[in-house]
Amino acid sequence: MALWGMVIDLDRCTGCQACVMACKAENNVAAVGAKEAARGRTISWMQVLTEESEERTRFLPRPCLQCDDPPCIRVCPVYATYRNPEGIVAQIYARCIGCRFCMAACPYNAKYFNWLRYQREAPGQNPDVSVRSKGVVEKCTFCHHRLQKARERARAERRDLAPGEYVPACAETCPSRAIAFGDLSDHGSEVARLARSPRAFRLGEGLGTKPKVIYLSETEVHRRA
Amino acid sequence: MNGRPSPFDRAVRACQWAIASLTLVFITSIVLWIAHLIRTAWRLGDVPSASIGISLVAIPVFLTLLGVGLSVFWGLLRGGDRR
Amino acid sequence: MPDPSVQRDAALFAPIAQTGRGFYFTLVVLGIAILWGAVAYWTQFEHGLGVTGLQQPVSWGFYVTNFVFFIGISHAGTLISAILRLSKAEWRRPITRMAEVITVMVLFIGAGQILVDLGRPDRMMNVILYGRYQSPLLWDATSISAYLFASTIYLYLPLIPDIAILRDHLGKHRFLYAVLAMGWTGTERQQKILNRAIAILAIMVIPIAVSVHTVVSFVFSMTIQPAWHSSIFGPYFVAGAIFSGIAALIVAMAIIRRIHRLQAYLKPVHFRYLGYLLLVMTLLWFYLTFAEYLTGYYGNEPEEMKVFWSKFTGPYWPTFWAMVVLNFVIPMAFLVRLQHHAVGKTVAASVCIVAGMWLERFNIIVPTLSNPRLPFPAATYWPTWIEWGETAGSFGLFILFYVLFVKFFPIISIWEIREGREVGLKEVEERLLTYLPDGTEPEPARRHTRVPT
Repeated sequence: MALWGMVIDLDRCTGCQACVMACKAENNVAAVGAKEAARGRTISWMQVLTEESEERTRFLPRPCLQCDDPPCIRVCPVYATYRNPEGIVAQIYARCIGCRFCMAACPYNAKYFNWLRYQREAPGQNPDVSVRSKGVVEKCTFCHHRLQKARERARAERRDLAPGEYVPACAETCPSRAIAFGDLSDHGSEVARLARSPRAFRLGEGLGTKPKVIYLSETEVHRRA
Repeated sequence: MNGRPSPFDRAVRACQWAIASLTLVFITSIVLWIAHLIRTAWRLGDVPSASIGISLVAIPVFLTLLGVGLSVFWGLLRGGDRR
Repeated sequence: MPDPSVQRDAALFAPIAQTGRGFYFTLVVLGIAILWGAVAYWTQFEHGLGVTGLQQPVSWGFYVTNFVFFIGISHAGTLISAILRLSKAEWRRPITRMAEVITVMVLFIGAGQILVDLGRPDRMMNVILYGRYQSPLLWDATSISAYLFASTIYLYLPLIPDIAILRDHLGKHRFLYAVLAMGWTGTERQQKILNRAIAILAIMVIPIAVSVHTVVSFVFSMTIQPAWHSSIFGPYFVAGAIFSGIAALIVAMAIIRRIHRLQAYLKPVHFRYLGYLLLVMTLLWFYLTFAEYLTGYYGNEPEEMKVFWSKFTGPYWPTFWAMVVLNFVIPMAFLVRLQHHAVGKTVAASVCIVAGMWLERFNIIVPTLSNPRLPFPAATYWPTWIEWGETAGSFGLFILFYVLFVKFFPIISIWEIREGREVGLKEVEERLLTYLPDGTEPEPARRHTRVPT
């Protein structure tokens, strides 16, 4: 059973936000409009945060960290969010009642809400991803639809899923190749190797969420500016 | 008020028994609901201990409330019939 | 036929027997508030929660504040009534019914707040069909259902003898009273059944009530957010609920006393005793609040301190300090000396406390959400007319339910007042004798006893 994870190299990230745009295009994330954005309702499954300190400014791309012990699924009252056996924290739009408890519980604020009806189904959207109605919560799914397509293709061709065949849109797009993605349980895979790097750290390490997005940073780990 | 009960009295009685029955139905459905939640958690493999733990307290509480309510209704209504 | 006992307590029948212009005026005012709320909710139902001031990351605001607030008020009634009944406090007699009605009515409003807050209210059945008991929201659902049912029965059972009196003497609404009186004729057998049921319920209702606000607090404390994940939340919320509940009860008592001219039944001594309870709760609230913030401050964890400072000096300082003044400073000033003007002082303190406790809920929910762990752009929460309207409508609906109850049922328990006159005096004297050393003879009855007013 695979355990899908991601490694983001902060020393390579330029803050260009190509990952953000790729994610929005791939997952039919609605553009909420200028007025709603001014009111703080932007939906951005992958969001690039800016950390400013006296020494430097650093960019932190933050997808859903796909925790292995997610605080969000503990509190969902209707099984609308759950962790599947391959480690992806899924969101079922058809079940969600919009109570936003998971949003309040997520320590990384990785969940977003459809405050209004931001879009209808229209040509030009990705047909593999459902268009969300108003009143439900959504978040990054590691482009789970791409996994399903890759698996089906592999099954049709009677072979196993090859490493690198399933990659989320953000990892595929990053121009500085800062995002690596793969099976963390495969000891020899690139992500597993990078996750063991001396530069590796996790956000909110002490919270016990066991996130599967690992960050690499010289400055964070070795305090070198 | 001896002799045959008037239509007014019969209507009153009917409403009273309806209230008592509704109480029974309501509480029974809550107990059944709690059992349904336990079964769902079990089937989905999602920590059934929470459901079982809560139901161990909640179901007796609801049943006691039902018991108190019904005993009052029964005591008053039956006492009234048996004049 | 005019019953002399009915004549004596005619003031308790007056609100039901007569309807003045004031009643219709009240209905109109409440109707406006409710209409505002209805329009607000309809707008929200049409367009989505975006019409409120909620945003990323403050995804909970007025509605959840109102939810916790109204459920907190519900601790007024049943808890106070049950505790006073169990401790055989004779001064409870005119108060219990008023308190119990608050509980039942406000629970509906409180539970309704969560429904208003849902993004997809059309899917509210999902909580029934696919509920997860691991989620604190389901604990809420179970606990509040139990409390609602228990307090409804606890309101209804002692109401039965009064409904029987109305059935026999009032002349209006005969069918309604005949049905609800459940064939009560006041026989000894019936009294025994009823008294035993009430006693059982009085005992049961207390742990249920405590569990209700504890699980409401668990909605916050079961997350790992700074300033929420605190072990004090269970007791803190219960204490706060009792606090706001007593205050709401005092306000309700004062209003009903004035409007229905019940000064003979609701005397300054009742307000004074509740005022003393309120004073104790003020001190308890302050102690728990102090312990909570001192712990956070001393620990100096960066994320806790972000929330701490946002309340003390940051964007939320007005609501925070208003809360401290309204919940502690002003009530202490009013409640320490209640010998004179007991009614006025307790009511003034109570109004402040009701407002202060609403602010306390707001201060718990919003500052934590406004200060996320990760470096997000700053966000401040400003409610819109939708949220104000919903709040106004909720208060209006609650008061409307209450007013309708007073219109149809006696707001002061007639039979318990009579019981106090006929049986209470003797019972109390006998009880006092058991406290005193053996061999103490009962005093011969004196005509003028010094009774503090």
